[in-house]
Amino acid sequence: MARSVDFVLNYLQELEELAEDVLTDKQTIVDLNKRYNANRMALTAINKKVTAPPGSADKAWVNFGGMFIKVSKESTKAMLAEDQKELENNIKDLRTKLPAKVNKLRDAEGKEELKGFNLAPIDAADMKKLKI
Amino acid sequence: MAATTTVNKVQEVREVTRLERIGAHSHVRGLGLNDDLEPRQVSQGMVGQAPARRAAGVILEMIKEGKIAGRGVLIAGQPGTGKTAIAMGMSQAMSRDAPFQAMAGSEIFSLEMSKTEALTQAFRKSIGVRIKEETEMIEGEVVEVSVERPATGTGAKIGKLTLKTTDMETIFDLGQKMIEQITKEKIQAGDIITIDKATGKISKLGRSFTRARDYDATDAQTRFVQCPEGELQKRKEVVHTVTLHEIDVINSRTQGFLALFSGDTGEIKSEVREQINSKVSEWREEGKAEIIPGVLFIDEVHMLDIECFSFLNRLLESDMAPVVVMATNRGITKIRGTNYSSPHGIPIDLLDRLLIIATKPYSEKETKQILQIRCEEEDVEMEEQALAVLTRIGMETSLRYAIQLITAASLVCRKRKGVEVSVEDIKKVYSLFIDESRSTTFLHEYQEEFMFSELAAAGDATSMET
Repeated sequence: MARSVDFVLNYLQELEELAEDVLTDKQTIVDLNKRYNANRMALTAINKKVTAPPGSADKAWVNFGGMFIKVSKESTKAMLAEDQKELENNIKDLRTKLPAKVNKLRDAEGKEELKGFNLAPIDAADMKKLKI
Repeated sequence: MAATTTVNKVQEVREVTRLERIGAHSHVRGLGLNDDLEPRQVSQGMVGQAPARRAAGVILEMIKEGKIAGRGVLIAGQPGTGKTAIAMGMSQAMSRDAPFQAMAGSEIFSLEMSKTEALTQAFRKSIGVRIKEETEMIEGEVVEVSVERPATGTGAKIGKLTLKTTDMETIFDLGQKMIEQITKEKIQAGDIITIDKATGKISKLGRSFTRARDYDATDAQTRFVQCPEGELQKRKEVVHTVTLHEIDVINSRTQGFLALFSGDTGEIKSEVREQINSKVSEWREEGKAEIIPGVLFIDEVHMLDIECFSFLNRLLESDMAPVVVMATNRGITKIRGTNYSSPHGIPIDLLDRLLIIATKPYSEKETKQILQIRCEEEDVEMEEQALAVLTRIGMETSLRYAIQLITAASLVCRKRKGVEVSVEDIKKVYSLFIDESRSTTFLHEYQEEFMFSELAAAGDATSMET
């Protein structure tokens, strides 16, 4: 029954690495979502034209890494929109990869696979028909 | 005092999954096998019947691996040898979301439904479909909600909603529709809400724990929820397991969803079933659904007639069939609805497709152990001697009779303010309630004094023929 110390240590290390991987991904999603929401708020603020200080009617102050730069509103909007798209894609990507990682971790822990994890979702219209 | 009792109650709460009354087999918690499928002598409420339990365990293992869907198992044995107990054990040991449907053979016969319909429904109740629902939603605690009316009185309202999770906080500008919903749902600071992204529907989950002390007079029904963690824009995945029958009922238009609860489903059109079958197999091909073949248990299977048996043959061959476990206590007897005799009252062609597990009568030691388990289950304390007497009774009459005496004897014992059931109590109830063999001898002796006795003597011959 007794196992060598090396084996146990290796196993624990492997386990920790897998768990760390899952946790990092989760935290990354949160961070990305934070930025997504900040951008969203910026976009609405620009669209509402209320926060513009006098003398900068069609320009906006944009903070680039600790420095404020005056950029035209149009290009700011374009930049933000592009950023949003990128963020959305990143989040989606992380989310689709997460289940596989969680399953790997559970496998390493000796737990059984989560059921229905690998299913593709049913479209909302079909779900409505089922009324569950 | 009240507080202490509630505390005790909380500790007592067990996970109630299936029906948990003190029923005849409520002491059965599983098949009592170890990891190598070797049966332990006394375990999980099962006693003895080692070969039968091992066989059931092997079958269960095959079911779990999805290997023997569409095949049948027959548990055969004398009355009172634990056939239903083994079936119950199998149901307890099955994986949680695989459906286990138990029915008695005579349930098939009803005026409202044809026999084949009842059988088909039972079959479809024991096949599960696993599907996943995915919703994109915003979930958070309301920090602040403000709705401003324009000074002119008319025109669009302006609203702002601040939401937070444990990790982040953000402000949303609200449109006209959202403001309406928020006023309708009476959303205020401190509520935990979700907003469905596809429909824009706002639903209130409860109040935040941190706001629990905002008002002293909170309603007892107020639900307190932990502030959500992580990101605001979430993707929720919910895995549902439904049975084919449930989908049938929901989609049979005349009845609708409510029929599931009223139980009055009536007959379901075969077109509906075909449509559902094709839809489900379509989902399966697209990787959207998994079929989980469950177990259909038919007790007293000899009560089915020849038509049902041939229909069973056909159902077992369909591509979405569950594992059918049947139990019977008959020997070689007539198949119902025919004049032909067959082993277990089941046609040979069906019997040929079944794996047969035999149960044997319990030994004296096993009987004692079962009685002991039942005493524990029914919270009855019994003297060692009384148990020995009861075991004797159980051996000479039947196990069921002995088990029934337990409760009766404990009542007698409580009447005389005793703590432990004694031999006297057993004797008392033994004289109060006669068992089947004593009843028969009594009837044989005094038959002439009963009503219609002369008819019975002559009618014996005719009743045998029908």
